[in-house]
Amino acid sequence: MSRPLIVEHNLETNEIDEREMNDAEYATYLKDKANFESLQEKKEEAEAAKAAAKAKLEALGLSLNDLKALGLG
Amino acid sequence: MATTTNYGWTTPDDTALVKDGAAAIRTLGSSIDTTTKNLNPSTTLGDIEYRSATANTNTRLAIGSTGNVLTVSGGVPVWSAPTGGSFTELASGSLPTNANNFTISSISGAYTDLRIELSGARVTTDDNIYLRLNGNSGSVYFATDFEGSGVADSTAGTTCRLQGSTDSATGNGFTYAIILDYTGSHWKIIRSAFMVPNASTPANARGQSYLNGSTITDAITSINFYTESTNNFSAGTYKLYGVK
Repeated sequence: MSRPLIVEHNLETNEIDEREMNDAEYATYLKDKANFESLQEKKEEAEAAKAAAKAKLEALGLSLNDLKALGLG
Repeated sequence: MATTTNYGWTTPDDTALVKDGAAAIRTLGSSIDTTTKNLNPSTTLGDIEYRSATANTNTRLAIGSTGNVLTVSGGVPVWSAPTGGSFTELASGSLPTNANNFTISSISGAYTDLRIELSGARVTTDDNIYLRLNGNSGSVYFATDFEGSGVADSTAGTTCRLQGSTDSATGNGFTYAIILDYTGSHWKIIRSAFMVPNASTPANARGQSYLNGSTITDAITSINFYTESTNNFSAGTYKLYGVK
C-alpha cells in the first residue's frame, strides 16, 4: 500500500518534488492522525454527554436557565 | 578644419581636395569609434554606464551580487547589499492538493527574520493548518492562543498553530507568520495570525492570533505545513519572504 505524499519546495534548487513519506515522516503522520481521531472522539463524547444531560433536565421540567438561576450554569 | 557640433569630430572643409577624402573619412571614422567606446564602455553581461567627470566619457559599472541594490557613494552609483528594511521573496506557489504535508526546505540563513503568508488556504474538510520547524515533531513547541473574546489559552505540544478551522469552500482567508531571528542559537518565537471564513457561517470572519514558541536552538532551514486531520489541502497559495 502506498504511503501519503509529501511535497517539498527546495529553495536551493527551486524545484518542487513530491514523494512518498519516509519511515520517520510516516510515523509522525500516523501519530498526528491518531491524535486527531482521539480528539474527535473526545469531542463527540462530550457533545453526546451534553445532549444527554440536557435531555435529563428537560425530563425533569428544567432548563439551562433554571440551572443558571441556581448559580450552576 | 571643420568639426561636428556635439563631439568635435574633424570633417573635410568645403575647399578640401578630393584626393584627401580617404584620409578624412578614416580620421572621422576613428573619432566616431573612440567616442562611441567612451560612451559605451560595457564589456560584460549586466554592465551599466554612468557619466564620469570627463565630458563624453562614461564609466563602466559591473553588475553587483545577487540581492544587491543600486545606491550612491561619493557622488556616483554603486551596487551594495541592502542595509535594512528589505523583503526578498524566497518562495511562492500553490499548496499541493494531492497531499496534506508541504515543506519548504534549504532556506538560506542570509536574512534576519522569515515571513510566511498563506492566502485562501483550505483543506478538503474544515480543518486546522499547523506548522513544524526543521522536521522536528518532538515536544518542542508551545502555543498561546489569543481570541477576540479576550480568552487566552496555552498548550505545549508537538506543533505550532498557524491557521484555525476555515470553511472548506470559501477562499478569502489570509494567514501570516513571522519567525524572528530564525538563525539564532536560541529558542524561537513564531508570531502568527489568521482571518478566515468561519467554518459554520462562511460569511462571518474568524480571526485569531497565536504566540507560538519552540525550544529548537538550531538555525531554521525548513518549514513544514500540514493539516491536523491529515486530509489534503484543497486550495491556497504560499509565500515565504526573507526579511532584513
